[in-house]
Amino acid sequence: MSDSTMTDEVIAFDDEFLSQLEGQMSVERIASEAPPIIEIENMGCVYGKKRALEGVTLDIPRDRITAFIGPSGCGKSTALRCLNRMNDDIPSFKMDGRITIEGQDIHGRQVNLTALRRAVGMVFQQPNPFPMSIYDNIALAVKEQRGRVARAELDTIVEGSLEQASLWTEVKDSLKDSAFSLSGGQQQRLCIARALAVTPGVIMLDEPCASLDPISTAKIEELLLALSAEYTIIIVTHNLAQAHRISDQVAFFLMGKLVEVGETRAVFESPRYEETGNYITGRFG
Amino acid sequence: MNLTSVSRRTQLSSAVGHTLSWLAALAVAGVCFFIVGYLVYQGLHSVSVAFLTTDPSPSLAENAGGGVRIPIVGSALLVGLSMLVAFPLAIATAVYLAEYMDETKLLTRTVRIGLEVLASVPSVVFGMFGLALFTLPAFAFLSSSGAQDASSAFGRSFFVAAIVMGIHVLPFVIKVSEEAIRSVPIAHRQGAAALGITKWRAIRKVILPAAGPGVATGVILGMGLVAGDTAIVWLTLGGTMTMATDQWWRPDQLLTVMRGTGSTLTTFIYFNSPAGDGNSPQLAFGAALVLILLVLALNFLAVLIARVQTNTGR
Amino acid sequence: MASDEIVVDPGGIAGLAAPGASARESRQAIDVCAPDRKDAEWLVKPLLLAAALFSGLVVTVLIGFVFWRAWPLWHAQGITFLTTSGWDQQLEDAWNSGGRTFGVLPLLVGTLLTTLGAVLVALIIGLGCAVFLAELAPGWLRRPFETIVQLMAGIPSVVFGLVGLAVVVPYIADHLVPANSGDVVTEIPLDGSCLLAAIIVLSFMILPFFVTVAVDALRSVPRSYMDGGLALGMTRWRAITRIQIPSATPGLVAGIVLAASRAIGEAIAMSMVAGALAFIPTMQHGPLYMLLEPVRTMASAIVDTGADAADVPAISAALFGLASVLLTFSLLLSLSARWAFGYFSRRMNIVSSRRV
Repeated sequence: MSDSTMTDEVIAFDDEFLSQLEGQMSVERIASEAPPIIEIENMGCVYGKKRALEGVTLDIPRDRITAFIGPSGCGKSTALRCLNRMNDDIPSFKMDGRITIEGQDIHGRQVNLTALRRAVGMVFQQPNPFPMSIYDNIALAVKEQRGRVARAELDTIVEGSLEQASLWTEVKDSLKDSAFSLSGGQQQRLCIARALAVTPGVIMLDEPCASLDPISTAKIEELLLALSAEYTIIIVTHNLAQAHRISDQVAFFLMGKLVEVGETRAVFESPRYEETGNYITGRFG
Repeated sequence: MNLTSVSRRTQLSSAVGHTLSWLAALAVAGVCFFIVGYLVYQGLHSVSVAFLTTDPSPSLAENAGGGVRIPIVGSALLVGLSMLVAFPLAIATAVYLAEYMDETKLLTRTVRIGLEVLASVPSVVFGMFGLALFTLPAFAFLSSSGAQDASSAFGRSFFVAAIVMGIHVLPFVIKVSEEAIRSVPIAHRQGAAALGITKWRAIRKVILPAAGPGVATGVILGMGLVAGDTAIVWLTLGGTMTMATDQWWRPDQLLTVMRGTGSTLTTFIYFNSPAGDGNSPQLAFGAALVLILLVLALNFLAVLIARVQTNTGR
Repeated sequence: MASDEIVVDPGGIAGLAAPGASARESRQAIDVCAPDRKDAEWLVKPLLLAAALFSGLVVTVLIGFVFWRAWPLWHAQGITFLTTSGWDQQLEDAWNSGGRTFGVLPLLVGTLLTTLGAVLVALIIGLGCAVFLAELAPGWLRRPFETIVQLMAGIPSVVFGLVGLAVVVPYIADHLVPANSGDVVTEIPLDGSCLLAAIIVLSFMILPFFVTVAVDALRSVPRSYMDGGLALGMTRWRAITRIQIPSATPGLVAGIVLAASRAIGEAIAMSMVAGALAFIPTMQHGPLYMLLEPVRTMASAIVDTGADAADVPAISAALFGLASVLLTFSLLLSLSARWAFGYFSRRMNIVSSRRV
């Protein structure tokens, strides 16, 4: 595979973002010295008789953006949902292997499901704000977590979350309006704000821009880059260019197995496995 | 990150909520089983072959003897006659609504609203309507006029009750039939069109047979509604323990019986309950057991037909 | 086929949330058929049309007749029919000596009290059941429980009345009526047939109707709302109460209205357990006594008076007067169910005038 031609194409396609990335990226940033925040060891899972994932071992680095990529049905979304145990609600689901977050096994006895899901937040493919006002979407999340909260403090948290999600200036005068009055991209940013309001450490996004137009997508990518300074971000995406644009580490899934994982630039420029290369160059999708 | 602790309040409210929900479900199931069980408990020793085949013996003495043969026959007559009234109307209306009617026209909306309003009218009002309508002299032929009075008909008879009852269950049967017709797969209709069959032929030979089980379910459930109603029967049929003639089983007497009064299981129970004048609770319980078994059987039959339909994929 | 909902929902409220779109395309296919030929078949469409018209318009005949027979009463008395009391005595007077005035205020109050009480109880227990059926029931329990609810909808009202009379009324008389009640409430003996018995029996009668509609409403809340809540760390129950139930409000309100219209018209069971007197329960001796006092509803008064008494023209007019009031109530409820559904649906999807 011709590395240089692929790199040229990528540069031509993503001019503005690549320059932004080059400004931010440095060798130290990629080779983080801190221990990984999430460690997945030999994880596999089944839905009833159907095996969805097998032998997945990978580390998620702290405060970086990790992208899960792969063709449809490869298991990347399933892997994501294992991390906050959303799959537990499905009766026929079983997981083997181990997932630890900050050293704690998420299936351990002391780990509380509710606490886990607040620490590991999730944003879905279709924006799913609650059928309430913009303010209440975030307020409900906070009140669920903390019980009674003084109105002033609630206002502060709402404003802070919306600021972090780059939505505050657009909605600050219409907080009482229904969340459905926002555009798709704004609703998605509202969902991100809502996830941020419960002070997570990890934010997971499952193809968050799949239903959005390019401009909204760009805004969200910008947002994620900014957030990655404070939060660990895992994003499942179908969009290879997006993965290349914003992620630090990329994990390539294929038919339930983790084929390759590594630093984004390295994997894209010189993948170790043929399948990875084929997928990235679009020989199959 | 905090992975281990969560406010106790949340967990407590969750547990309480789940428990309350289960309790509510238990309460409902409990009441249902209790009702059936209590009827069995109280009524079982009354029910026997003799009970089912003897006529009630009207008497002022408490717990007079006798059986429920006349009420059973009365119920059967009423159910049969009502469905005779309701079914043709219902199926015709359902076919029209499903196949010929244009949803945007005012006429359609009028018919639909009319049916919806009809469905919301209480039984008692239907009963009063029956009295209002069928005491008009024009309808004297439907009921034997006890007073021999030209200015008004007696207004109470099996005919009257059946007509009113038929109209009462009409919206229900229409709704079920229409749904059954509408859910006939599109493939049937396309096949008929491809063969050049005219619309009515297609309906008659293809659609209606395919919708058969669904419509049958509606009819059976409608029968259950008729069998279980008391208010309409009480007002339009009265609660007499005897039929118009002693020899009601003779076919040539059918018309006389239809034009006369009688009772059904429901009015029999009402009359003989501690709240009525009959004061024969044991008879009432026996009859109630028979009635509830009848209703259960009808419901069961309907479910069976629906299941057969889904299994054969029609 | 959804044979479950239709048993309890002839008015189509459950269908409000889920109209069938495939029906239309299915219809279009058959319109491609050749038109009916010139022989007897051309009669078909007009005949069917006549049937449909009859079915749709028979209700106007019904309304017309009832109000026509009630007219003499309204004309003679006007609103005093509803605002004055004395039903029991007036019936006797009319029967014996030709009295012509009636006051049904106690019946009106009785209807309102029993309906409100039953609706409240049915709402609470019914919502719990609906949540159970829609969310909490283990898979194997779901179908059996649905069948139980459907069964309950089919139990005849006279059976409810009989069991209520045999079990609930004696229980109240033996365990709830204080021993010295005769001294407190002097007008009539408290024998157990009372407002409380009426509410208990009536609420279980209307419960299946509400549960069916409520389950539909809960199930039609998009899964994504719940997922969003769960992912935020809400427990299942909190997600149900804070997201699912509020989102299902339009359907729930429609269900309550449906249950209420069923409760208002119930005559037989009320006749058996609510009491034999047109009495207005009051709080003057406290809430317990209010529940233990007998009550009579408009519907039960009609069946209690009996068809024979209805031959007396004055009584007949009064009964039709009651029927006309009941009819008006049920019409209003039926129409308001639709309106309420639309109103709450719109309120939850307010589109702001400001769009970015």
